[in-house]
Amino acid sequence: MKKKALSLLLAMTMVGTLMTGCGGSSTSDESADATTEAAAEDTEEAASDDAEDTEAADSGEAEEEKPSASVGDGSAGEIKVWVADAVVDFTAKEAEQFLNDNPDYAGYKVTVEAVGEGDAAGNMITDVEAGADIYAFAQDQISRLVSAGALETVNPDVIDAVKSENDEGSITAATVGGELYAYPLTSDNGYFLYYDKSVVTDPSSLESIIADCEAAGKNFYMEINNGWYQTAFFFGAGCELTYDTDDSGNFTKANVTYASDEGVAAMKAMIALNESSAFQNGSAMGEATNVAAIVDGTWDSSTAQEVFGDNYACAKLPTFKDGNGNEHQMSGFGGFKLLGVKPQTDDAKLAACDALAYYLASEQVQLDRYKEVGWGPSNLKAQASDDVKSDVALTALAEQLKYSIPQGQYPGDYWSLATSLGDSIRNGELTSSSSDDDIMAALKQFQETCESYAQ
Amino acid sequence: MKGDSKTKLSYLIMGMGQILRGQWVKGIAFLMSEILFIIYMVKFGGTYLSKLPTLGTVETYKEGRKTIYGDNSFLILLFGILTIIVIVFFILLWYLNIKDNLKQEELLSQGKELPSNKKLLSSLLDGNFDKTLLALPVSGIFVFTVLPIIFMICVAFTNYDKNHQAPTNLFTWVGLKNFKELFSFGTHGMASTFFQVLLWTLVWAFFATFIDYFLGLAVAMLINKKNVKYKKLWRTILVLTIAVPQFVSLLYIMKLFANDGLINGYLMKWGLISAPIQFWVDPMLARVTIIIVNIWIGIPYMMLIATGLLMNIPADLYESARVDGATGWQMFKSITLPYMLFVTGPFLLTQFTNNLNNFNVIYLLTQGKPQSMKLANNAGSTDLLVTWLYKMTVTDTNYKMAAVLGIMVFIITAVITMVVYNRLPSVKDEEGFQ
Amino acid sequence: MSNTDNKNDSNASMSKRKKADTTISYIVLVLISIVWLFPFVGLLLQSFRSYDPKVEYGGMVDYLIPKTFSLDNYRFLFSGETNFIKWYGNTLVIAFFVALFQTIVVLCVSYALSRMRFKGRKLLMRFWLVLGMFPGFLTMICLYFLLKQFGLTQAGAVPGLILVAVASSGMGYYVCKGYFDTIPRALDEAAMIDGASRARIFFTMIIPMSKPIIIYTALVAFMGPWCDYIFASYIAFGHDESYNVAVAMTRWVWTNDYQGYFTRFCAGGILVAVPVTVLFMLLQNYYVEGVTGGAVKG
Repeated sequence: MKKKALSLLLAMTMVGTLMTGCGGSSTSDESADATTEAAAEDTEEAASDDAEDTEAADSGEAEEEKPSASVGDGSAGEIKVWVADAVVDFTAKEAEQFLNDNPDYAGYKVTVEAVGEGDAAGNMITDVEAGADIYAFAQDQISRLVSAGALETVNPDVIDAVKSENDEGSITAATVGGELYAYPLTSDNGYFLYYDKSVVTDPSSLESIIADCEAAGKNFYMEINNGWYQTAFFFGAGCELTYDTDDSGNFTKANVTYASDEGVAAMKAMIALNESSAFQNGSAMGEATNVAAIVDGTWDSSTAQEVFGDNYACAKLPTFKDGNGNEHQMSGFGGFKLLGVKPQTDDAKLAACDALAYYLASEQVQLDRYKEVGWGPSNLKAQASDDVKSDVALTALAEQLKYSIPQGQYPGDYWSLATSLGDSIRNGELTSSSSDDDIMAALKQFQETCESYAQ
Repeated sequence: MKGDSKTKLSYLIMGMGQILRGQWVKGIAFLMSEILFIIYMVKFGGTYLSKLPTLGTVETYKEGRKTIYGDNSFLILLFGILTIIVIVFFILLWYLNIKDNLKQEELLSQGKELPSNKKLLSSLLDGNFDKTLLALPVSGIFVFTVLPIIFMICVAFTNYDKNHQAPTNLFTWVGLKNFKELFSFGTHGMASTFFQVLLWTLVWAFFATFIDYFLGLAVAMLINKKNVKYKKLWRTILVLTIAVPQFVSLLYIMKLFANDGLINGYLMKWGLISAPIQFWVDPMLARVTIIIVNIWIGIPYMMLIATGLLMNIPADLYESARVDGATGWQMFKSITLPYMLFVTGPFLLTQFTNNLNNFNVIYLLTQGKPQSMKLANNAGSTDLLVTWLYKMTVTDTNYKMAAVLGIMVFIITAVITMVVYNRLPSVKDEEGFQ
Repeated sequence: MSNTDNKNDSNASMSKRKKADTTISYIVLVLISIVWLFPFVGLLLQSFRSYDPKVEYGGMVDYLIPKTFSLDNYRFLFSGETNFIKWYGNTLVIAFFVALFQTIVVLCVSYALSRMRFKGRKLLMRFWLVLGMFPGFLTMICLYFLLKQFGLTQAGAVPGLILVAVASSGMGYYVCKGYFDTIPRALDEAAMIDGASRARIFFTMIIPMSKPIIIYTALVAFMGPWCDYIFASYIAFGHDESYNVAVAMTRWVWTNDYQGYFTRFCAGGILVAVPVTVLFMLLQNYYVEGVTGGAVKG
């Protein structure tokens, strides 16, 4: 018997160490303190003159004694920022600039990590606490983030400024239920056509692009099983798909007209495209092989220039013919990249995050970011600058945006559902020999499921 | 209450009896665990346990622009379960404490001496060495395997999903609602998708196991032939697939078979096909391709195992068969195969259950795609139950349904294992082939 | 199948048939080798294609052999532009410690289950068997928050991953216990008569006799962390410095942020594959012994 007792005892002590570890999550508090101290030390070392030196040290002590310092009086801590890999160095440099310009916040240490706009939302939702304080994301994630409590509203002091400085679409994209939740970062999250001048002679119609590609044995890329690119056909044919949201980001109503003659026409055009030997499903320039034309966005402009070389050219999306011979201009989404701030339990840190986010989304930084990586600004003044205006890709995008719809809020499930719809074409369930009824049945299923996402 | 005063004292203060009788090492250990338990309950466990029935009621709210988090349902559930486990342990420990006291009393009343402290400690390296060896591994498994599994089973009975995400939102118990959803056949029900995915999971596991098994056996026999030289070289080439991490080799193969990948590219260049073969796009073809790629991974393992086992077959069995004029095929059919099947029965079963849960191959190659409008909840034609479950957890944060699915996977694996295991010839008859 | 000889054949036709048989065997083996090596050769060739637009192109292309061979990708990996060296180091550290501790745990558990008879032994083994049937991913989120309580996620992900891998390793005792079972118990009994304690027998007798199985266990444990993508990415998210190679490099293939990284992925893949492969080749015989033993024991 005592054998068992002893073994259980050992297990018990193991649990004992565990409970001391968990006790009121004291460990995480301690580690937070440790980083604070480290941050304070860092700034101490970094600061060159004595005045700043003592200030930083003071703030470090103040933080240890009482964590809730009042707004912007030089408290300390770590601000975590997540941005796409391409702009990590750029953002780190700008953040340093910000700290130099604002000695109030000099006690903060900013760490920038590479977390792509796609992953950021998922990671934030998994664990808000461990997530970044400031993070960039594509606008389609905003409602999901709001309802998971991962986004703080924009500082009321700068709301008017943000609204007047950025283009209208980007403000709409950053708004959920009447509240502005994020700072617009770019206004280039749309797509258009990159093509090889030596292969494609007439980029204005899909049929001629396909004919040219087939003749040259080259590929035309468009990601038709992606809810984002797919809308080029559906909206172009005249379908509608939008959602209404309430204040907390919940979807209240779906406005869908996919199960209609227009929807069938769009599906048929996609089916015809899918059956061309030149067609490839995809939207990443770096993944494309033997490519002559691709529907892609500005983020790939440098890769596209590499691939096409002297034959590099851009245009708005082409027109497409539906089964009845009517011609439609491809439409699609015009989207935005946004910068969000996580809800904070500390007013001082929130103020610092607000200020930094506002700075990172300001006119000058947007312009610099464009110069560094070619991302099209959402700031109106930055858009008006000569550099931006003369950019080939951004011009094509601007041209296309006339036909696109500013992207609103969509439930996360929509994107995977759209993949299913696109895959139904790609996997051969729906072909040119399918009857209109079959196509309509798939669209009905799609529409009903879309509607079921709204409560 | 039985026992003398010392024992009675132990009812309240654990270990007191042992200490008073001179076995203070054991006594202090009991006492310490009681103290630790009380500290744990007061400082930590008590609050979580009391909130377990509701999983929290305090909502998150704003104070100015500052956020004040309310109850965290996730942590309440997790630490609530932990506390229950701790309580059960403690009761057991308490019971053992009493039993030990009574036993000591009995020994003393018989006039025997109690073992000394030193003897008790040194028994941990001898008679009780198993306790020393197992203590850490067993507690590790309890905390990092058993606790999480109990937790996930509980999640299946809550509404923990993307709309009820801690720490901002609360989630709560919903009973069997999630199970009903899995088995509902309506337009938005998951039942038909579940059974389709289940069917493919079983088909996949069957082919992945048996094709690899027989081909691996064939390759092993081919290399084992007397007239084949450079045996080590051939084996080494095959074994590369085990050595190279799968995330490297499988991701490369995924790109290789893509519509615009190398294989299609060359076939088109050489004019053998005019349009790309839809390796990963056509549902049927994707399934076949996966099974074929899996052969590439599976044969080397089987080859290694078979090589060792084939040598164990007594050579005189073949000799006498040859004298009787048996052909190679006949010898394979009546000697090699029965022997192999007999010996590797349990292995085949484990392979089968492993393949039911073979996440890497499917996920790295297709991520379950292609999807279809005919399948609900973003399931794809090549999705196994586990990859579907994974997508639900990570992509859709639909933890409640993932948990339900996990329980289903467990039931299926357990049933197959139990039914087959007891029928295996090598289990029924251990001496069979000797 | 293995032997096509027939007693009634004349000697001449027999040797002819034997020759044909040998030729066919070699043809099949060469074909198999080509199929098996092709992906690795492809990977190696792609890793020498420069990503520099002035030389060639780093994305997907539809030809196998690079137009110019260059070491640009390898140079990139070691240039410090990414944390590749750090990732590699992390993986190495994880693999080393997991191999070390896991071997210790497995040896302890196997010895206890093979040599000692105690109450609940059968029950424990059966319980672990049942536990193994639960799909592991299910517990990821729970493990994440458990580890977080100890500060072992994100910045602490490396020790966290080691802890989780080691903590549950006791359940993988089958092969090792099977090996211990084959060591005659008479040896133990003789030693015990000489007054040796259980611990002494374990350390001075059983362990030295178990070299093959120790190497097998350590080798398998060492190879595991190199492929760990799923759990590692879940534990380490948002903290580049604590990624392992698999987490960091799959981003280059799966995320659109990394256009034209394909050849760099191939180069990284080669660098990951080399040490594991070399180690594996050196210890292949132990591995074969382990898997064969394990297969028979089930």
